[in-house]
Amino acid sequence: MGTINKLQFDALVIGGGIAGGETALNLANNGYKVAIIEKELSIGGKMILLSKVFPTLDCSACITTPKVSEISRHPNITIFTESNVESIEKKSEYDFTTFVSRRPRYVIAEDCTGCQLCEKSCPVIVKDEYQFNLIGRKAVFIPFSIASPKVAAVDMENCILCGACEKICPSNCIDFTQEEREYEINSKTVIIATGFNLADPEKMDRYGKGLFRNVLTSMQMERQLAPTRPYNTVLRPGDGKVPDKIAYVLCAGSRDDSAGNPICSQICCMYSIKQAQLLMGALPMADVTLYYIDIRAFGKGYDEFYEQARGMGVKFVKGKIGKISELPNGNLILRYEDIQSGKIKETEHDMVVLSVGTLANREAPSLFKGIAPKVDDQSFILQDDPILSPAKTTVKGVFVAGTASGPKDIPDSILSAGSAAAEVISYINQKQ
Amino acid sequence: MTDKKLGVYICACGGNISDYVDIEKVKEAIKEEDCVFLAKTTMFACGDSNQKEMESDIKENNLSGIVVASCSPKLHLNTFRAVSERAGLNKYNYVHANIREQASWAHSDDKIGATEKAIHIVKAAIAKARYSQSLFPIKIESEKSVAVIGAGVAGLKASLALSKMGDKVYLIERENKVGGKLTTLGKVFPSDIQGNDFVRRLEEEVKKENNITLITNAKIEKCTGNIGHFQIVVATDKGENRNENKHEEIDVGSILVATGFESYRPQDGEFGYKNVNNVITLPEFRDLLRENNGHKNLLYNNSKIKSLAFIYCVGSRQIRGENKYCSRYCCSAAMNTSLELKEKYSDVQIYHFTKGVRTYGAQELMYAEACRKGDIFIQYPDKEEPVVNKDGDHVVVRAKDILTSKREIEVLADLVVLITGMVPDSDKSLGSMLKLPRGRDNFFNEIHVKLRPVETVIDGITIAGTCQGPKGVMESVNSALSAAVKSHSFVSKGELELPPIVAHVDTTTCSWCDACSKACPFNAINMTEVNNGKVAEINSTTCKGCGMCLPVCPSDSIELTSFTNKEIESMIDILAS
Repeated sequence: MGTINKLQFDALVIGGGIAGGETALNLANNGYKVAIIEKELSIGGKMILLSKVFPTLDCSACITTPKVSEISRHPNITIFTESNVESIEKKSEYDFTTFVSRRPRYVIAEDCTGCQLCEKSCPVIVKDEYQFNLIGRKAVFIPFSIASPKVAAVDMENCILCGACEKICPSNCIDFTQEEREYEINSKTVIIATGFNLADPEKMDRYGKGLFRNVLTSMQMERQLAPTRPYNTVLRPGDGKVPDKIAYVLCAGSRDDSAGNPICSQICCMYSIKQAQLLMGALPMADVTLYYIDIRAFGKGYDEFYEQARGMGVKFVKGKIGKISELPNGNLILRYEDIQSGKIKETEHDMVVLSVGTLANREAPSLFKGIAPKVDDQSFILQDDPILSPAKTTVKGVFVAGTASGPKDIPDSILSAGSAAAEVISYINQKQ
Repeated sequence: MTDKKLGVYICACGGNISDYVDIEKVKEAIKEEDCVFLAKTTMFACGDSNQKEMESDIKENNLSGIVVASCSPKLHLNTFRAVSERAGLNKYNYVHANIREQASWAHSDDKIGATEKAIHIVKAAIAKARYSQSLFPIKIESEKSVAVIGAGVAGLKASLALSKMGDKVYLIERENKVGGKLTTLGKVFPSDIQGNDFVRRLEEEVKKENNITLITNAKIEKCTGNIGHFQIVVATDKGENRNENKHEEIDVGSILVATGFESYRPQDGEFGYKNVNNVITLPEFRDLLRENNGHKNLLYNNSKIKSLAFIYCVGSRQIRGENKYCSRYCCSAAMNTSLELKEKYSDVQIYHFTKGVRTYGAQELMYAEACRKGDIFIQYPDKEEPVVNKDGDHVVVRAKDILTSKREIEVLADLVVLITGMVPDSDKSLGSMLKLPRGRDNFFNEIHVKLRPVETVIDGITIAGTCQGPKGVMESVNSALSAAVKSHSFVSKGELELPPIVAHVDTTTCSWCDACSKACPFNAINMTEVNNGKVAEINSTTCKGCGMCLPVCPSDSIELTSFTNKEIESMIDILAS
């Protein structure tokens, strides 16, 4: 192992999604030096991968990229992508030490032009995690077209070391000798912006444990509807057929004690309504039905957006799906209690989207040495003073932004990031 | 013709544009235009890698102007201006052409026509770029202070944050006390603490901050100026002694508006309100609970209340009324009130007539708890509201219930509580004084509901809490602190740069007819004397460059930088050709 680089910042933000990025920007614009630690190859979190956003139907890539490029170019912000926080320790007030390891990308980032010739030359094909396994990618790859930084990376777990990419790269930036780099970062405060995990369909027995070919997660549908969509149209992944009777199963992994998550995920109703509207545009002849318990269209302009979907002909059926079964032709039978008629019904659809909920990302508290921030019953970061200081955790000097403290939509994440930034500046100012 | 050296980029927007506009054809059509040095197409012009490429193109070829044909300038004008700046090119030599909203999206049924239109739009932008000039920002000093209007929970929290961040704060409240609606709430979910106790805590904290000047009983009479320098005239009513109104002038760099909401007041007869005895609103019911504190039984007009009906969505999601929006907080507020009530009076039966319960997030736990405690939930159909009638000493509520396959349900209640939503403050004077735009729901409008929820189109003015739209207490606080950090960044440096796109008067041809000053919506034009002649003078810090004064000038004496006659005429020539 090489030497440890020692660095100093005012604030260390864990997570480079929209909440972490917005917190960092708010701090940087007021003159504070910020480090963002991001475990993925690109910043932008989940938002940068979405299709359009509710209720404005802005193209998500179009509104995220200016934010992302503002963050990545800000002179007061230093970004560590492909990096893991190894440990965080509060030595005393205003004195946090964080060890960060940065995984090798096996590409000299400064020299990569993003030309993608390496991708073309690579003979290895594996599932593309940034397209939620809908299609394949190579072992050397650019994560996605609007990634920041837009720099290739070698996936060493799958690379066969054939050297094809090294030979073809016009700027000679493939470097198999790169090693992990270690950083010791000193900061006055730490902000947890580690986001959420999506509920895992493999744990949903009733919905086929992720085995049915034409049952997708909402994130997979998000990719199918994005401007950089993998198939350039909406297809069911089982056989490539264009679907014409699509069902949404709401509360998949939310409001469900049997799934271990009694709370509402806050975003699924709205993103499902949005996807339904986009599907009506992409496949004008298709039938789209949402099976729901209650429609939670509570934000600014949301209820109007729900009414708009009804006006467009999206069908809403009140009833929780009890079971999904698969037919030989890949179609699916949904069994449910139709609340309005009080009858048990079965309906056939040719594609089903599970509107998966948001679960806590349990990683952050385990990174702390000594005193760690407490978590709530759902394992989200516990807010110490939830009403008057929502960004404060149980550890002084450690703040929380975005969905790390509970489910939130994008506007609420942005507001919580602003809130965290105000707390951080107030906290740092008290010292001076 | 000018000797400009232009770079032109045509964006596919990942298909948003290229699905309907043939961008290669656009490139071919414009690459031979005068002054065009290079022309390229790109998948995402805004993407990081393309921005890098543009920067190196500008530097390597010494380009003197840039055109990007992409989406609306509302999205990316600043993105590409920043690219120019980083490459050492003055950002006002960048011209934006919108071929998405104006071509591909508008004409998705006519690909040939959309392409043709896009070519015209790009050519016009090139024509403008030929005459573009380098401009430099107007630098002004900024007051390091913020006026916070409204001392409810949002205003109090914003003031505390601003003060702790180092700014001077004037907290202006029209009532004689602080706390706003928070004082009337009971326990605030998810805490166990009463609203009133929170207010007391905040009041104590405000007193400790030397940076905060609290002005109560205040009325804002006048507000002039701009970001960096707003002048606010506040009249304070000293109460008992009449005619002792004091006027105070306050100078601030930014204004944070936190004027809150009002509870919807049902009309007479709406769900029996005022026409049937024992029908009250949620705020009235909360008052009742407070006054009833200490009694063994829940009493209303001296009779014991054994059964209660809550009717949801009163004043929200209206079928007939104006308020189409969901008030967000009411489902949880009702649930919270119901649980608090059950704690004190466990024998009261509560019936909830809902339109679908919206206890989002962890508030779901309250709903589950209310169900466990034996509350009964009835969901009425969206278009068929419950009917409230008098029945002897009782009130009878009738509704169809979706949850029992539309069975007709009749509840005999001792008291009906209308769960009223939030409406904007009825005093509209501040909003019109500050020229703050409102949304369809009549709450103040932000710049962008997703990414810029606390900023307004008026530079230097931020909005916090429920004046922007319904919110719970925690959400109001998050929005207050967000607005505080934005207002802080306006004033923290003590200096601001204003955009240089402003109008200029040619004093040799102007003869002061006053038409321009009447047309100016920002009061930026005054009369002045030059060589004993009266002429118009434009205050460049107040001028927003809106251009309203230009067409009314009979002698054509006003020019707008960056939109000069030469630039606009050359664009019209192309578009009309």
